[in-house]
Amino acid sequence: MNAYDVVIVGAGSVGVPLAFYCARRGLKVAVLEQEASWGRGQNRAAIGGLRATFSDPAKIAICKESLDIVSHFEESYGIDVEWRRGGYLYVAYDAEREEAFRKLLVLQKSMGLDVDWISPARVSELAPGINAKDLRGGTFSPGDGYASNLQVSSAFHRLAMEAGVDFRFGEAVASIASPHGHVESIRTNSGEYSASLFVNAAGATAADIAGLVDAEIPVHPDCHEAGVTEPVERFMEPMLVDIRSDSESGNYYFYQATTGQIVFCVTPKPQIWGLDKDATSAFLPLCLRRMLELYPRLRNLKVRRTWRGMYPMTPDGFPIVGYLREADNFLQAVGMCGQGFMIGPGLGKILAECIATGSGPSKPAGSTGYQFLFDQLTPYRKFEGMEMLK
Amino acid sequence: MNRITRHPVLTPPADRREVRFSFDGDELGGYEGEALSSSLAAAGVAAFSYHLRDGSPQGIFCANGQCSQCSVVVDGLVKKACITPLAAGMDVRSLHGLPLLPGEDGAFAGSGKRRTRTDVLVIGGGPSGLSAAMELGKRGLSVVLADDKASLGGKLVLQTHKFFGSEADCYAGTRGLDIAKKLEAELRSMPKVRILANSPVVGLYKDKVAGIYSNYDSYELVEFGGLVVASGARERSVLFPGNGLPGVYGAGAFQTLVNRDLVKPASRVLIVGSGNVGLIAAYHALQAGIEVAGIVEILDKVNGYEVHADKIRRMGVPIHLSTGIVSAEGEGRVERATIAAVDRDFRPLLDTARTYEVDTVLVAAGLSPCDELYRQARAFGFPVVAAGDAEEIAEASSAMFGGRIAALALAKVLGQKVEVDAEWIGKREVLKSRPGDRITRDPVVPGPDWQPVFSCTEEIPCNPCATACPSSSIKLRPRRCNIMDLPYYEGSGCKGCAACVAACPGLAISLVRRIDEGWAEVLLPWEFLADFEAGKRFALLDKAGAFLEEAELLGKTFHKKRKTWVLSFKVSLANAARAAGIRVQAEAATACLPEPRFGYLPDDAILCRCERISVGEIRDYIGKNDIRDLNQLKSLRVAMGACGSKTCSVLLPQLFRSMGRDPKTLSPLSQRPLSMEVPMGDLVNEGKQI
Repeated sequence: MNAYDVVIVGAGSVGVPLAFYCARRGLKVAVLEQEASWGRGQNRAAIGGLRATFSDPAKIAICKESLDIVSHFEESYGIDVEWRRGGYLYVAYDAEREEAFRKLLVLQKSMGLDVDWISPARVSELAPGINAKDLRGGTFSPGDGYASNLQVSSAFHRLAMEAGVDFRFGEAVASIASPHGHVESIRTNSGEYSASLFVNAAGATAADIAGLVDAEIPVHPDCHEAGVTEPVERFMEPMLVDIRSDSESGNYYFYQATTGQIVFCVTPKPQIWGLDKDATSAFLPLCLRRMLELYPRLRNLKVRRTWRGMYPMTPDGFPIVGYLREADNFLQAVGMCGQGFMIGPGLGKILAECIATGSGPSKPAGSTGYQFLFDQLTPYRKFEGMEMLK
Repeated sequence: MNRITRHPVLTPPADRREVRFSFDGDELGGYEGEALSSSLAAAGVAAFSYHLRDGSPQGIFCANGQCSQCSVVVDGLVKKACITPLAAGMDVRSLHGLPLLPGEDGAFAGSGKRRTRTDVLVIGGGPSGLSAAMELGKRGLSVVLADDKASLGGKLVLQTHKFFGSEADCYAGTRGLDIAKKLEAELRSMPKVRILANSPVVGLYKDKVAGIYSNYDSYELVEFGGLVVASGARERSVLFPGNGLPGVYGAGAFQTLVNRDLVKPASRVLIVGSGNVGLIAAYHALQAGIEVAGIVEILDKVNGYEVHADKIRRMGVPIHLSTGIVSAEGEGRVERATIAAVDRDFRPLLDTARTYEVDTVLVAAGLSPCDELYRQARAFGFPVVAAGDAEEIAEASSAMFGGRIAALALAKVLGQKVEVDAEWIGKREVLKSRPGDRITRDPVVPGPDWQPVFSCTEEIPCNPCATACPSSSIKLRPRRCNIMDLPYYEGSGCKGCAACVAACPGLAISLVRRIDEGWAEVLLPWEFLADFEAGKRFALLDKAGAFLEEAELLGKTFHKKRKTWVLSFKVSLANAARAAGIRVQAEAATACLPEPRFGYLPDDAILCRCERISVGEIRDYIGKNDIRDLNQLKSLRVAMGACGSKTCSVLLPQLFRSMGRDPKTLSPLSQRPLSMEVPMGDLVNEGKQI
């Protein structure tokens, strides 16, 4: 039996940063991952956007932390993660959208977010060539940005290794021993691991992992496709988000990566539930048509690759963070709803702090000030409504 | 301009229109519609662009649409020169750093969807794809055949040499380019077969649909019942310092430039690899008037057919066994290459290094199947068969059979009642066999009557001589009882017609007869320009290329059917039966510099060409990280480039093996659409009537 302070299931967007921050606090950490290396679940499929402009206190707090970490990665650790503070721009082409954005702005500003309404002229300045017809402006948050999911996860993995984390790749969790409402050990296909605290950071398969202690958590993955182009000289700054829907799709968004490629993604309508990672023929014609309507000059840009990943969804679009009633030392950090990449670093740092200062089911935030986060994201909330800025 | 205006086999098209275009401000000329890469090569341009990462010059590598090393900016847009047809007035510029996306901001002109359906989609129109499509068409199935080139035939259209194999079954003795025309004509006559030339398949999707980049300007989704993947093979790259320099490219690219587009891109080449592809490249070079400094082979024996190798040696090209390339060097392009003998672990023995002044290094170190769409289709659970090189690397002759067999297997899966002729399978097995035994022949003593002398001593699937002989006096002597058997003269009946001499793809048959006490007449094949008359003296060589004597030419006859000259020589009686070939290139072409001149920096070899990542960088990363998954290397941007890991995925296992790691224990790189970059506007058919 291998004994640790913390055993984390999942070496993805959440698990790898969490492992690093725990190890940096002197904890002995193991990470169990069924894939052959880190970030091979949904992190590899992320497109790289990072923002704090949400509409709730928990995600705002977590993602502010993430932004701080990722934007200072090079200064802090000497690793270039291709961060760029390009901002997020939600464009409005009709009165209905403008009104909704302006209403949300009031709330966002009240929460201290750096976000404001900008004019069509300013939109065109940030994204030259964007379709100006009927453009009413948009909300722009200049402090948000983007980084390479690949470089961020690789950097955290490297730092975690240096901090002594024991990564166990190619090990799928087979069973969890929790005889008295308390996890004693996790058995994989090739070993058994004991610890005082266990964390479920299993992304798209989180519900199966929680099921091993007979807990039901409402995390259901749905499938999203994305693509990347050839790189070109920088011509646009922000992550562009168009939240309009049409008959075949919901919102779509794209940005120009630090290295010059356009990375793009669309929300299918209706949602496609499941774990299918295979590309479909519908994605490119559908997503590109909408992108070209919005941004005609992209017509000459060559698409290089497409892929598919999952959004581990919860019914209300917010993550689940907290302890299970069925197993009192089994912390859940799951249901990132497609935002694991941007939530992971901040959540990892916050949870490590909570764990190090005595986190547990009765006092999940330990001696930190993060109790509000656990209150909001508890697995035992009602899951009503829907996140406005999903 | 470096153009081939006269060629022993090929005739430059008479109707080509010469047009002007500019390259980095210089006005150049080329032929309208030819590949821009060929126009540039003909104008002597080696460096097309400069790599984003370090500004290093980039030139042609595959000339086949697979890599993206020949990218240039054409009228403001980045394009691969090898798949861009030249048009009058084109403004072509080399690419430095990242390209600018043109501000073409006119309103989106609307999208169109083209979606069709077929029973079977055949990917690739080479010998196996054409044969498969034909077989399926005959069975009444609807077929779409998509190929990325303008003319069908795959690599057949690049082959100026006569094919081995059996005349009855696979057009042996016919040149590849003529075989392609025959197959294409037959297929075009079939009503249920739709041919999409110039249209690569760029994506295979889970919903049983293929995305086709139709005519390189629109996007068609084809729903299919079954798939034949006959997408051929691509050349393996080789790791040596300087392998990224312009002037280092594949033997296939060379064939494309020389034999398809009649460009003379080099004056002297060094060839790496002695498989049939490398051997044939030497032959094509000499036909085009290009010198061949030599062929290096890292193994201790020739990798291709012995009869091919001997033929090349007799033309005056040395084949250096147990020898590898150490470096290619030059300012902006290859100017010299250094080779050295290797030890048992293939490490170079640098004290044996020799440097040659060459402007081109041709890489012919073997082929790897373009089977990624096949693997993807298998993973998706589609009814799919692979054929030709995509199934197994072999000769075109076997690919034609393989295509038919694969087609029938698919037809069966699709519910047809099918019996595969057992004879076909047998023939295919023979045609794709590796060479068999080497057999010693009895020496021939020239007599007063004509008789053939065979310089083929290795069993290979080939019989055109036996078919060609009008008096049926050449027979395969039964040993294996198939066309692997060697031909022998039956002892009488030879009239000296030289049909066998002109037919032999190995140029390995001569005819001899004694003239008088001291002299004999010898007939030898000649597949080069014959601008000479009787009386000229030629160096005659023995089977393996050793010099015998200078002999006087008595006369020349052109065998039209085979497009081959037969030259008649007066040879001393002692040498007559041993005279097997005529030296084509002077010995000076194969001389090395008096002193080797090179730097040996093996870590500088480029492994990922798109992103220009060196062996040293990858080795360093592997050393510092626990690599269990090739996808981890994406942190270095390996496999993230335009080609979609077509080149590096073949080299990475080699690198891991050299570091003592079994590549089979590593998770493979993920394969995803698109297999070729396509502009967004084309993917939605913007503004097109669909």
